[in-house]
Formats: sequence, C-alpha cells, structure tokens
Amino acid sequence: MLHCRLVRSTAAHAEITAVRTGDAAAWPGAVAVVTGADLAARGDMAVLFGPVLLDQPVLAIDVVRYIGEPVAAVLAEDPAVADEAAALVEVDYAHLPAVFDAEEAFGSDTARLFPEPPERDPSFVDVTLRADHERNVCNTFTVVKGDVEAGFAAADLVFDDVFDSPAAGAVPLETHAVVADARGDRLTVWSSTQTPYITRRQLALLLGLPLNRVRVIVPALGGGFGAKAYASVEPIAAALSRVVGAPVRLHLTREEEFVTSTKHAMRVRIRTGVMRDGRIVAREATAYYNAGAYAVISPRKVMFGAYGLNGPYAIPHVRTEAHAVLTNTPPAGAYRGFAINQCAWAYEGQLDMIAERLGIDPVEIRRINLLRDGDTFCTGETLDHLRFHDLLDAAAERIGWDPDEPVHRDGDLVRAKGISCVIEGTITPSTSTATVRLGPDGSVDVLTSSVEMGQGIRPALAAGVARHLGIDPALVGVSYVDTDLTPYDQQTTASRSMYSMGGAMGRAADDALHKIRELAADLLEVDPADLEIVDGQVRVAGVEQQSLSLGEVVRRSQVGNVIGEGTLVTSGGLDPFTGQGVGSVHWHQSVGAAEIEVDTATGHVRVLRYTGGVFAGEVVDPVGAEHQCEGCLVFGVGNALMEELVFDQGQLVTGTLADYMVPTLEDMPRHHEFELMEDPEHGEVHGLGEPALPPIAPAISNALYRATGVRIRSLPISAEKVLRGLRERRESEQAAGQVDEVTSVGAQG
Amino acid sequence: MSELQELPDDPGAVKLPDADGRVPVRIDVNGRARTLRVRTTQTLLDALREQLRLQGARSGCGVGMCGACTVLLDGRAASGCLTLAAVCDGTDVRTVEGLEDPSGELSRVQEAFLRHRAFQCSYCTPGFVLALEALLAVDPSPDEAAIREAFSGHICRCGSYSRIMAAALEVAGATDRREQA
Repeated sequence: MLHCRLVRSTAAHAEITAVRTGDAAAWPGAVAVVTGADLAARGDMAVLFGPVLLDQPVLAIDVVRYIGEPVAAVLAEDPAVADEAAALVEVDYAHLPAVFDAEEAFGSDTARLFPEPPERDPSFVDVTLRADHERNVCNTFTVVKGDVEAGFAAADLVFDDVFDSPAAGAVPLETHAVVADARGDRLTVWSSTQTPYITRRQLALLLGLPLNRVRVIVPALGGGFGAKAYASVEPIAAALSRVVGAPVRLHLTREEEFVTSTKHAMRVRIRTGVMRDGRIVAREATAYYNAGAYAVISPRKVMFGAYGLNGPYAIPHVRTEAHAVLTNTPPAGAYRGFAINQCAWAYEGQLDMIAERLGIDPVEIRRINLLRDGDTFCTGETLDHLRFHDLLDAAAERIGWDPDEPVHRDGDLVRAKGISCVIEGTITPSTSTATVRLGPDGSVDVLTSSVEMGQGIRPALAAGVARHLGIDPALVGVSYVDTDLTPYDQQTTASRSMYSMGGAMGRAADDALHKIRELAADLLEVDPADLEIVDGQVRVAGVEQQSLSLGEVVRRSQVGNVIGEGTLVTSGGLDPFTGQGVGSVHWHQSVGAAEIEVDTATGHVRVLRYTGGVFAGEVVDPVGAEHQCEGCLVFGVGNALMEELVFDQGQLVTGTLADYMVPTLEDMPRHHEFELMEDPEHGEVHGLGEPALPPIAPAISNALYRATGVRIRSLPISAEKVLRGLRERRESEQAAGQVDEVTSVGAQG
Repeated sequence: MSELQELPDDPGAVKLPDADGRVPVRIDVNGRARTLRVRTTQTLLDALREQLRLQGARSGCGVGMCGACTVLLDGRAASGCLTLAAVCDGTDVRTVEGLEDPSGELSRVQEAFLRHRAFQCSYCTPGFVLALEALLAVDPSPDEAAIREAFSGHICRCGSYSRIMAAALEVAGATDRREQA
C-alpha cells in the first residue's frame, strides 16, 4: 500500500505555469509524483467530479481556485517519505483576481471562477439548476408566497437588517480517510464517507466503470456532521491507485480537514414587516451562501436556505431568494443544520429586535406568529402535526421565563434569558432500502447502507427491528456498509435515517414476517390467516400451546434463512423559481431557551443553562436521542461563542485546533436538558441529528441582547464584539443623555 | 506539571540515529518489552499505531489540543502526537489496549463508560478513559473539579460530555453534583 501526501495550492486564484516534480520523484523512497495534467493526459479517466456539477478537478489542472486545493500527489510506502518528498515539489503560479466574499463575488466584474459553465452530473436529477457561471453563481432558489410589496405597504413597521454567519468547520475528530484499490477491472474503496452510494456513483463515473464494479466499504466513522458527505478524498485515492497499480491510502491532517469541507459563510439582508399588534405580515430576504471554489452540494443548499428564511411563522406575504456563490475559498459542503443555522441566526435575532420595539415579550410575539395546524407554509404546503406552541410554552416554563423579570446584575456580571424557534425540513424526495434476514437460531441480520458515525443509527435500527419482530434487541445485528452486500440508501445526512431507513427496515421486517407466516402455516398445516405473531412467537390464534419461534420456523422449513426486503421512497420537490411544491416529507420543529451570564468588563459570555424542545414523533433509542441533542448543543455553543474559520486573502489563519476553538466540557452549560415531544398516535419518527441545533446561537444572542441591549449581527459572539457593543452603547447613551434603545437596535419605522 | 519531567532524566539516554536515520528504543508497552527502530522525527503515536498496530490512541489534531492520542507515559497522561518515540527509550507506555487484565476483564473505568454509554463515535473515548485512569492513580476519589481539570484537554465533538462525567463521577465515588444546585 502506498501513502499519499498532497501538495496544495498556496495561491487563492492562479494559473499554474509550472509544476516541478523532479526533486520529489528522485527522493529516496518516493514511488510516484502525479499532477492533474498527468491524470488528464492518460485519457482513461474523467478528471472532474462533483455531486451536482462536474467542476472539481481530482488534482488541479491549469488553474487553482483556493488556497489548499490539491495540486500534486506524492506516493511512498512510508508516509514520512511522502511528506518529505512532497515538500520538494515546486509550483509556479500566475495570479488571477481573487474574491473571497460571497456578496462581492455575486456578479463580480473582476473575478470569475469559471470561464465556461461546468457540466452537470447526468445522474443527479433532483436539483433544478439556475446556475450562472458568468456571475459566479452555482444556483439560485426563490420562494414566493402572496404579494410581498402589498404586505410591506400594509405593515405598520418594517425592519431591515443584515446578519452574517462565518465559515466554520465540522471538526469530526477523525479526519477524512480513504484507501482505494483500483487494480484489475474493479475499484474497491474503504472510505469515511457519509454517502456510500453517491460516492460509488461518482467514482464509477470518474473511472468509467459500471456501478457494480465499484465497491464502497464504510467502517464506523469518527464523526461526520455533514463534512463527510459526497466524494472529496475518494476520487484522489482512486485515480492515483489506477495510475500506480497499487492500493493508495490518503488520511488528511487536521489542517487539510479544515480546507476540505466547510460550513457555508452566509450573509442575509432580511426585511420584515409587522403590525403593531405583533403580527408578521411580510418578509423579504436575500441570502448569499458562500459556496467556496466548487459547487459540491450548494445547489441544493439554497433550496433549504430559501424556504428556511421564512422561519416557523405564518407570514402571508413572502419573497426569499438564496444564492450559492462561488469564491476563492475552500469548498463549503453539508454541515449539521444544513443552511438553516444561518437563517435562524438572522430571523430569530431580528424578531427579538422587533419585539422590543413593539413592546411585546419575545415569547409572546412568537406565540402570535408561530405556525399552527392548517397554516400554509411559504412553499404552499398545508402543515399539520405542528407542536410549536406546546414546545415554546414548555421551554419557557423550564427556563423560568418571566416577561417582567429584570436582568440580574452582580458587579460586572449580568444574567438574562433568551428564546428562539426554528423550522427545518429533511431531504425530500429520498429513498432507502433495507434487508432483514432471519436465521435458524432466531438471530437477525439487518443489512443497511446507513453509515454509523456516532449518531447511533445501528443501536437505533436494532431497537426498531427488535420491536417490530417482538424479539430481544441483543438478537439483532446491524451491518456496516458494503455496497457489494448492503442495499441502496441515498445518504446518511439530513436527519433522515431514522425516518427513511427506519421505515424501510420496518417494511423489510413486515416482509420477513409475512414469509414466516406462510412457512409456519405449512408447518402447522393451518391457514396463514389463522396465525398470529406475538413476541417473536408464531401461533394459531388463541392456541398458545401450539407456537413456534421465528428461528424454529426458519429451521424446520429448511429455507436456510428468511429474507425480508423493504423500500421507502418519499416524493416531493420544489420549483426553484417559486419555491412551491413539497419541501419536506415532514417538518422538524425546534425551540431553544438559554440563560447566559456576560462579564461586562471582559465581554465574555457564558451559557449557564440551556433547554431545548424538539418534536420527535417517537423516540426509538432514548440514550441515543439524548446524545444527539447534546451533540447539537456542542455545535450550537461553538457556533455561538467561538467557532470561525478566519481567512486572510483566502489563507485560512485558524487552521489548527490550537487556533480554532471547539467547546470542551468547561465551555458547556452546567445545566442542560431537552424535551423530546412525542406523538404516539401519529406514529411517525422524526430524525434528531440536527433539529436541536439551529435555535441555540440565536437563543444565546437574544439572551445577551436582553442582558445588555447589545445586538451581535455577526457570529461568533466573541468577547471583542460584545465589548465593542457595550462601548458603543455607552457612548450613544452618553450622547443622547438617555437610554434610547430604539435607535440602538437599528430598527426603522 | 511540566512535560519535560516526562523525558528521561539522562539526556545521554537518547541514542544517535543510524545510517537510515533511525534510533533503537526499548519501550515497555502494555507490560510487554518492545524494541523498535524509530525515526528521530517519529511520534510515539505513530510508532504505536503503525509499528505496533495498537490503534486505540488516535490522531485528532497533531498539536496536543484534542486529547484523542492520550497514552500513559510512566503512568501519567501524555499526548502521543507531541511525544517523540526516540525519547521514550526505557519508558513504560500504556494504551487503552493495555487496560484490561490478562483474563480480558475491562477496567472499572472502561466498564463505567460502557454502562453509561458515555460515547457516540468513540474516537475520543480512549483519551478520556486514560485521562481518568491517570487521575485515579494519584487520587483514588477525585472530586468533580479534579475530574473536570483532567478532562480539560479532551474534546468530544459528538457531545457526550454529560455521560462521560456521569461515568467518571461514578468511578470516583463522588455524587453527581450537577443534580444538586
């Protein structure tokens, strides 16, 4: 096996004028040095990939578009040798105009990332593209409901604000890793991917192989959080393996991980028209999602962003538009809370400014506007099974919300509470398939291509199938992913697995039980309709003594095993020009409440308590569900208070875990709890990987606002920004000679 | 507590590299004497994972910030990614693989983590387990503050901190003070 070390671009946007590999190739122990031009010259593989647009080179060809882009690969048996040789590769660049900010890149006259429109991946059909390469746009999505101008004309007040979210890192503790073996006429890849079947398709297209000759094996992942969705390192390892005829391993360093997939930086201008009684009557928003240098999944992300900006409120007139804009920064990908965190940061922050201006309690203004059963969402969907009001009331009670509660002051320390509500969809349409295999000893195999990355899908599926079959969960084994053996699943993202794969698995279990019933009927010489299956026992209805276990049925009927298969396909989709259609098979509903303490001498914010409420439908694995919510809290506290990928002219300057802070135990609130609201009668499982996350940062920010009057519009809420806000507030108070909170929050009438 | 104290007392104990740029080191790993030839730049983490195939210690950041590579070096928690293998000659190294007793029984810390399901992806788990083992070796009944201090250099990105603390407090025999207050 050969180890790969990548030589990465040091230029943000440049033509490659020379790549000198001689010294590296001559380094003792170096086996090969490969450039993008080398791959292109072979003619036996495609050299561009991407899940929607084929825009990303395996190794840069002619042009680099971000600092950190792979330019050349060095292979050696000893990874230390590969490191040493890689340092000897020299690349000459002729710099091109570069652009780093999405709004600036949108229609930029000076910087353009692609002179020609990239081709589409023909097999990716469920995203309608409104790409415009001349304006650096890889997709735009628009949602229109009602008549937004009429709405604003009728409004008593219009609020107009700009909010920013920075790029961030998912920081799975295990970085991306892959081994690819392209020897012979097949490709086998061991990968840390969250999307085994999409990655298989991407690799098949790249190497010109039929799907069944590409095998993607996925062991347990050390975290994913979206960053490991869609091919990234796999095409590199696969192409190199074909070049050298040996297995190739690529394991990213932390510094490389940071520039491989980021959370989208996003800026949004959001205008909201309200009546004096607190009703929101119009919303217009324009968002610029910074896609980085390559589209990856940004074309889909703007769909979530556009409807996400509506928020969980019944607004009669809406027009939102989200652009995914290419810039000379690392590619942005999937990230826990897919596009919604950035939306919630804006609309929930603005809503508290509106509430203050109108003199309405923040909880009350949400009660007035939250969606209720029968309301029409901005996508035209009539919503049901909504529990927002219950979730909000319960969260307000748990945090001890009192509209008249004064802020607590203790010297420089000031305490207050904040609240926030969010709606989020899951990927729709989507497809999952599962196989349940009953053995003669009563044990059960579940074959699934859902990826276990710490979210606990394996124990959750085991619990679900055990319950379905009426057997001990200890008898159920859940597979890891191997596309040669485990059936199709679209992807492990979007909090979809428990619903989609869980649903497919339930159908597979039902199919297996149906076959068991037929077999048992033969064994017992009765009509299948006379049989009942209770607690893993098949018996003639009402005759308890005449029963067979599931394993006995398999054994005595000599079928070897009983295989049940199940498929769950959801349908839907939205028109990209109007946003009308079916956005999500069901809607994730989430509320958060935070109590914070800010040190007004230092600007440091601490989260003392946090409580969230999420509509779960049904909780399958309570411990796993609790873990998922606490995981969201780690991300939420990190996003709120510390996490930011800082770039200087395209160069990441927070590229190590010494510079990029993520929450440790000490950063977490000492007290936190989550309510997982169930609705057993409805009987639908909602995923819990993401919904708890988006309300967290705005709830913390809203608490800071109540504590100090300082409104932070750009994440993270760093001590510097808080101190600056406090100072500006003090100065404006002195200038006005009085507290004038209205002007300080930037609202306009 | 200085990292330097964990280095051999006698600087002369560091041998000069041979023609391949490697030095021989003799390390007692999980109770077994091992002799390795390591590059002078090779980390202890790399030597354990790639040469001894002990993969319980994991690489997370390479700069000693995440704790995933923690091993016990002469009984004390150390970052495998910051410790050069070449200076470990004569040391005693314990990894998570060495915590179970010869009959295969897990340590009480490991048992507590399992009982509390104190992990999600578990990439960070060996680091947390060894940090607690190191603490218990010097303080058999640490209080919550001491445990928090021992965990302060460890990141669980999945967010299992509550259950990690619950497991640790149980082993420490302390009450879970989060429930009070």
